[in-house]
Amino acid sequence: MPIFDQGYQHWTGHLSGHAWRWLAITRHGVRVGMQGRVFRTVLLASLLPAAALAFALCLWGLVERNSDFVAPIVQFLISSRLLNPAVVADPRHYRVEIWTLCYNLFLSSELTLSMILIVLVGPDLISQDLRFNALPLYLSRPLRRIDYLVGKLGVIAAFLGLVTIVPCLLAYALGLLFSLDLTILRDTYRLLLASIAYGLVIIFSAGTLILALSSLSRNSRYVALFWLGIWIVSGIVATVLQSVDQVQRRQASFNRAMASPSASPTPQTLPERRRPRRGGTVTHRWSSEDFEAEEIEAAKTNWRPLVSYTANLSRVGRQLLGTDACWRTLSELEPAYGRKRYLHQYTGPQYPWYWSAGVLAGIFGLSACILSFSVRSLDRLR
Amino acid sequence: MHSSQSRSSGLPASPMLFQFEEVTKSYGAVVALDNLSVAVPSGAVGLLGPNGSGKTTMIRALLGLTRVDRGSGQVLGMDFRSRQLDIRRLVGFVPEDECLFPRVVGVEFVAYAGELVGMSSKDSLQRAHEVLDYVGLGEARYRKVESYSSGMKQRLKLASAIIHDPELLILDEPTNGMDPAGREDILELARDLARNKGMSLLFSSHLLPDVEAVCDQVVVLGGGKLLTAGNIQHLKHLHNRCFEVRLKADAAPFAERLSALGCTAEIRDDSLLVQIPEGRSQQLLWEVAAEQRLQIRNLRPQRSTLEEVFLKALEQA
Amino acid sequence: MTPIVEFHEVSKWYGNVIGINKLTLRIAEGVTGLLGPNGAGKSTLLQLATGQLYASQGKIRVLGQPVWNNSSLNRLIGLCPEQDAFYEWMTGWDFVHTSARLAGLSRSAARDATQRTLESVGMLRHKDRAVRGYSKGMRQRTKLAQSLVHDPRVLFLDEPLTGTDPVARHDLMNIIQRLGSEGKSVLVSSHVLHEIQSLTPNIILLNHGRLVAEGHVRQIRDLIDKHPHHIVLICDEYRKLAGRILSWDDVEGVRVLAQAKGLMVATRTPDAFYSRLPELSLEDGMAIKEVYSDDDSLESVFKYLVNK
Repeated sequence: MPIFDQGYQHWTGHLSGHAWRWLAITRHGVRVGMQGRVFRTVLLASLLPAAALAFALCLWGLVERNSDFVAPIVQFLISSRLLNPAVVADPRHYRVEIWTLCYNLFLSSELTLSMILIVLVGPDLISQDLRFNALPLYLSRPLRRIDYLVGKLGVIAAFLGLVTIVPCLLAYALGLLFSLDLTILRDTYRLLLASIAYGLVIIFSAGTLILALSSLSRNSRYVALFWLGIWIVSGIVATVLQSVDQVQRRQASFNRAMASPSASPTPQTLPERRRPRRGGTVTHRWSSEDFEAEEIEAAKTNWRPLVSYTANLSRVGRQLLGTDACWRTLSELEPAYGRKRYLHQYTGPQYPWYWSAGVLAGIFGLSACILSFSVRSLDRLR
Repeated sequence: MHSSQSRSSGLPASPMLFQFEEVTKSYGAVVALDNLSVAVPSGAVGLLGPNGSGKTTMIRALLGLTRVDRGSGQVLGMDFRSRQLDIRRLVGFVPEDECLFPRVVGVEFVAYAGELVGMSSKDSLQRAHEVLDYVGLGEARYRKVESYSSGMKQRLKLASAIIHDPELLILDEPTNGMDPAGREDILELARDLARNKGMSLLFSSHLLPDVEAVCDQVVVLGGGKLLTAGNIQHLKHLHNRCFEVRLKADAAPFAERLSALGCTAEIRDDSLLVQIPEGRSQQLLWEVAAEQRLQIRNLRPQRSTLEEVFLKALEQA
Repeated sequence: MTPIVEFHEVSKWYGNVIGINKLTLRIAEGVTGLLGPNGAGKSTLLQLATGQLYASQGKIRVLGQPVWNNSSLNRLIGLCPEQDAFYEWMTGWDFVHTSARLAGLSRSAARDATQRTLESVGMLRHKDRAVRGYSKGMRQRTKLAQSLVHDPRVLFLDEPLTGTDPVARHDLMNIIQRLGSEGKSVLVSSHVLHEIQSLTPNIILLNHGRLVAEGHVRQIRDLIDKHPHHIVLICDEYRKLAGRILSWDDVEGVRVLAQAKGLMVATRTPDAFYSRLPELSLEDGMAIKEVYSDDDSLESVFKYLVNK
């Protein structure tokens, strides 16, 4: 018939199984998240470290092939004391170390950028749903609470994965191409897996934490402030605690040295940073080397860095990537007297990694509890 | 009864819309549903009851959002204790409160609602435009939903509930707080869906005239128990030979004359309740009116209103 | 009929947006309904009348006194607002008692008044429960109680029956009607037309901030001559009846309602039409079994006036 009914039509289409329901929520969240202009800018900026990583790996690949192309760059790096000539002389030997350190630097910068991305997109995820009361709309549809939460976590995973895991993979592929040496795969595949694992740790830990915070308040500004508190303020507090501790220890060690029997008539009050001069009339009763040795010993049980959330993440990351071992290998190239200082300077806090893992696991558990409690209790159909 | 199309569940359309068998649900010390048993056929059903009578609990039980302590029941032939997700694919729900997915435009809102039921994104966008046409949101669908008026938000909720073409549409106080124009829109849409498009409706409301305008049957709850259920017209029984009469002028002389002729006439507010004796018809009233040169402005057989049915059912409980 | 609430050429705007536009009206004793679509200015009118807003133009007087900055007038005015804002931790008794004390009643008078008012709204059973545990209907009743407790002479009720179940609705409408018949002036604003219809035939209709109609519903209807009246007649021989009716000059149209076995007649002179009906019915075979008109209802008046 020529005239068609403009009213309501019935629909007999296909409804997918609810296992994929979380994907709809993730897609929607990503679309809404990308609406923010500031967010898009920061996302783009987060890809700069990725480009830098790719560049570094490609460079190293060319170094391994002793390409003349990169010779001036290498000279520049050696002369500015960023690269040890012994490393350049035998690149294949130090391949794993250099790759690991590049990945480490990339992931620590991405860690900071991830925190910024989360503060831009994370607070809105659940708190806006609470404010506009969208939960009855979700829960009256064929999806469970777990689908809802996984979907929301997926939004964080999508964005963070884009800036951490995807660049790791792409840079690896590029580095492989530029060195044209498949033995790299055998040497560094563990590094690839570790970097992906680190990315996943960041996603799950930070993702569940921001979701839990977001589910506690209807006002996303408070959630954002809380997140900034956890990230920045805890970092500051940890630094302050560490400095206080360091000053206290220095004072204590100084007092101990004063009290020892071999007292010299002219005590030195300021610690000497340079090596003690061979010969010379002034005897330093209190040597900075002894103090450094004490520091290194104390660092093994210094719990204060645990207060900072991001320090925990980076500690676990370092353990996964194995950066400390790399630094130790590189420190062999340094003269013996400076090795400990070198290590102390470049490796991070030395407390056991499973302390950090424990803290992160605890935070994860707490977030999961908060989420299960708040989403359930806020499903109110009056 | 609507035509039985075979739906995606593969089952023939069940003659019973939903049924409860000895369902009990308590929240701590408060008993929300008390051994409730009811079987409701498909069609447009009104759900009435004072506050705290268990209406909300019943709806939540139907959607599988709450576990019942005892008893069993089926919705569209599926057990609501075990097949909640399947039930929700065939049921649409318009909640009472203000509900929105934030920061999207109207058509994205409805399409998202469809995707959440399991439609593919292409299907849901196409269908979203269709249902938005039906509920009458024209160009407004490209604006952000936060900017909508309350009538538009209600229609939007309705659109997102029917996007997947459910067999049962549950409306929880749909006209609450809406102005008369908006109320009429929603009632018209509900009536059209129920009467012409073969969708079953469960209409929960406190506004009895709205329920009367849309539904054929009614279920009345009180204190968690079923007070009465059935077809509205049957419940509002006809008072045989009782008529409600309104005149233009004062009714007293009219009433007197009727009493003299053997009727019982009772003056109530501005109208008259007249019972005609055996063997006579309304013509008697016209005769008296012609005699006294009065205008009869309203002459209808007396029928109890739904309000009376409701209050009587409550009293009897 | 002394007006109790008087508005004289009152206008109120918010920046560029007009809320009320040159409103002049008088509200007397008894119950009056205040109607209008969303955004018509009903809440603005109530806020102006209770002294919460300052009129940009014009004068407002309640009980003969100006309302702005007149706290002694509040003793005589009761307001039941639309918003649902309570001190949630107070019990029902505390809330109403505090309102009574704030209105200036002495402690013993407040106690008696609270007891009386809570009983009349049916909240005496729950007086010792905190308001946060109340259902919507109970909150509405408590709100109404606080507006009544100091026995005001003028009452402004903004959507007093939303969220209440039919039982509560029935009770509260009885209370409002009783207040009207006691000589108080009650202004009820509501969207639910059939409620207003059962409460009172006197209405005030606003649209876009202007006064559209004021007075008794049926009088207003009679004055709307743009829309002919529609009267339904049910008769067994409806087609024959139609033929007879069409021969009358003032009938503008007849529509056949086959299913109901009747006719819908359109006429601009309902008075003349009705006066001819008794003789018509007594004619051979034209027995009219039912006659009614939905047109007199508040709903149709509202529709005609608002949906120009």
